[in-house]
Amino acid sequence: MFDGLIQLGSAFSTFANLITVFNVGWATLIGIIIGALPGLTATMGVALLTTLTYKMAPEQAILVLISVYVGAIYGGSRSAILLNIPGTPANAATTLDGFPLARKGLAGEAMGLATSASVVGTLIGVLFLAAIAPVLAEFALSFGSFEYFWLAIFGIVIAGQMTSFDDVLKGWIAGFLGLLVAMVGQEGIHAEPRFSFGNSDLAGGIGLIPALVGAFGLAEVLAVMKGRAAELATKAVDRVVPSFRTMWHYKRTIARSGVIGTIVGIIPGVGEDIGAWISYAAARRASKERALFGSGSREGLIAAETGNNAAIPGALIPALTLAVPGSAPAAVLLAAMLIHGIQPGPMIMIEAPDFVFQVVWMVILATIAMGIFGILLTRPLLTILLIPRERLMPIVFVLCVIGPYAITQRLFDVYVMVFFGILGFILREMKYPMAPLVLGIILGDLLDKNLRRALVLSDGDLTPFFTRPISAVLWITTALVIVLALPPVQRAVTRFMRWENP
Amino acid sequence: METRPLVRADLITGVILLVFGLAVLAESYGMPRLEERNINPWTAPGIVPGVLAIVIVILGAALALRSLAAGALRARSPLSEEEATEARAATVRLFTCGALCLVYATVLVGRLPFWLATALFVFAFIVAFEWNSADNGATRLRRIGFAAAIAAATAIVIPYVFEYLFLVRLP
Repeated sequence: MFDGLIQLGSAFSTFANLITVFNVGWATLIGIIIGALPGLTATMGVALLTTLTYKMAPEQAILVLISVYVGAIYGGSRSAILLNIPGTPANAATTLDGFPLARKGLAGEAMGLATSASVVGTLIGVLFLAAIAPVLAEFALSFGSFEYFWLAIFGIVIAGQMTSFDDVLKGWIAGFLGLLVAMVGQEGIHAEPRFSFGNSDLAGGIGLIPALVGAFGLAEVLAVMKGRAAELATKAVDRVVPSFRTMWHYKRTIARSGVIGTIVGIIPGVGEDIGAWISYAAARRASKERALFGSGSREGLIAAETGNNAAIPGALIPALTLAVPGSAPAAVLLAAMLIHGIQPGPMIMIEAPDFVFQVVWMVILATIAMGIFGILLTRPLLTILLIPRERLMPIVFVLCVIGPYAITQRLFDVYVMVFFGILGFILREMKYPMAPLVLGIILGDLLDKNLRRALVLSDGDLTPFFTRPISAVLWITTALVIVLALPPVQRAVTRFMRWENP
Repeated sequence: METRPLVRADLITGVILLVFGLAVLAESYGMPRLEERNINPWTAPGIVPGVLAIVIVILGAALALRSLAAGALRARSPLSEEEATEARAATVRLFTCGALCLVYATVLVGRLPFWLATALFVFAFIVAFEWNSADNGATRLRRIGFAAAIAAATAIVIPYVFEYLFLVRLP
């Protein structure tokens, strides 16, 4: 117990300097701007900044990336409230009540509430990060190949289920396509090239960052240009300093949304957007003012913005301790940590125990910066939303080209970005979620090595996959998720529920 | 049963996935088993891609069958006049944007100096989307001038920031 506090204290000393303040400041600000601009998502922001922070010291680089991440998820609330367009997918639930509030002339109050809810949400999440990550890392030490195999399958199945709203099948298709993408290139045991067709670039594999920049950058550019132009709800802004009385009034909603957001964040691949939606749905169910939801409920706005920001530290928990990202931006962070020589996974509390606590401080520092900027920079941020998309999107795409190239200096990665941009756009138009695809690309290697290792250990015997205790928990949960998603089972459950409470 | 708007696209996707899955399965089956290296047969490179291909085949078949059951082959209700106009405009915007991005990323970058390629792309993009046939000469000239200014600024600022401040190499 006290060990943790001491480590937390010593981790702070790493960041007690001016460079840190400077980096947190600019990075959070850039994050907020990236989040506020429709067409630039948190994933894209973290991916771009990964290339920019290439030459920095590891802990400062990760600090910058986490600041961008926190800033972007918050910044998206601005466009959600003022334009009715979520700046990042995480702010989709914010539009439901934020935009009606803005149309009633309460844009300032809505932005103030979004700011304070985001701050509190992140802080709730960070408490869990500090408390759970070390324990989970220790627990994960008992994972063997069988467990990692099931963890990968569980991650894909549950991410597919939770990120696709009405069509589970499409979530799973996206997830398994992601796993197949990861099969391209030299495999991890014998270095035998797969699906490379004699091409040496393909034999090197598909990089996560080029694929992500395509799926979240170019696809977003195409979607923004295809849609109608957005209009600002209001240019007049009332007071933006958050009302603490309103916040206190909704303390239960805030606490509930914070916990829900964090838990959703921990689930592999299921990130801020779902955290916000589930918090929002739970708040509506429990609310006394249910009728107001969707037409300008302060409670709904607070629930969504607490839920999405709480998911950030939540998503970092499995990323740090299992090397399984809890969300798409966390997936990029994971890749960035590897680039900087930090190896996330169960060994992290043994090899780099300070790092986990440093991450805790990074999130706290970014949250403080986010709160300050959120209150101070309302008007300048308003002007950014007025930039027409015709002038912004070409610049975004230039960044999409630079991002993948800068890491490896291969034009091949630019082509990969273009390919995934077009594929991602088509899939998105047909309502396939992107998160399971991303998770699949990350988990593919884990699945591949561990399935084969496990088969060697058991000499082809499948029983240990089902009888080892942790494996059993994982496969039974996975099977339950699949069975409950089947249409006949769902119909039966609905009939049963109706019969129970007529 | 109501006809979902994506039901025909789902049928096509399902069939594509089915064929794709089978192709991947064939490719995985044909992968070297590395017997000459005496590896454990359970670590053959084709195993996991093969299993994944089977899953894709099953999911693709499920998608195709489900959309058939939902009426993928039935006639679709026509769009209203207004919807059709917006859909056409959206398609034109999409393909203009897609074509410009494609030419920039796959043709210009790598062949021209990066700043020149970027300037051309940004200029063409803004002009293409802000072009309005109703504009008179002066307005049009102003718009083109503005596009050129943004293009020039992007072509100077972005390479400077990336190459000199962040020490990143550009194409």
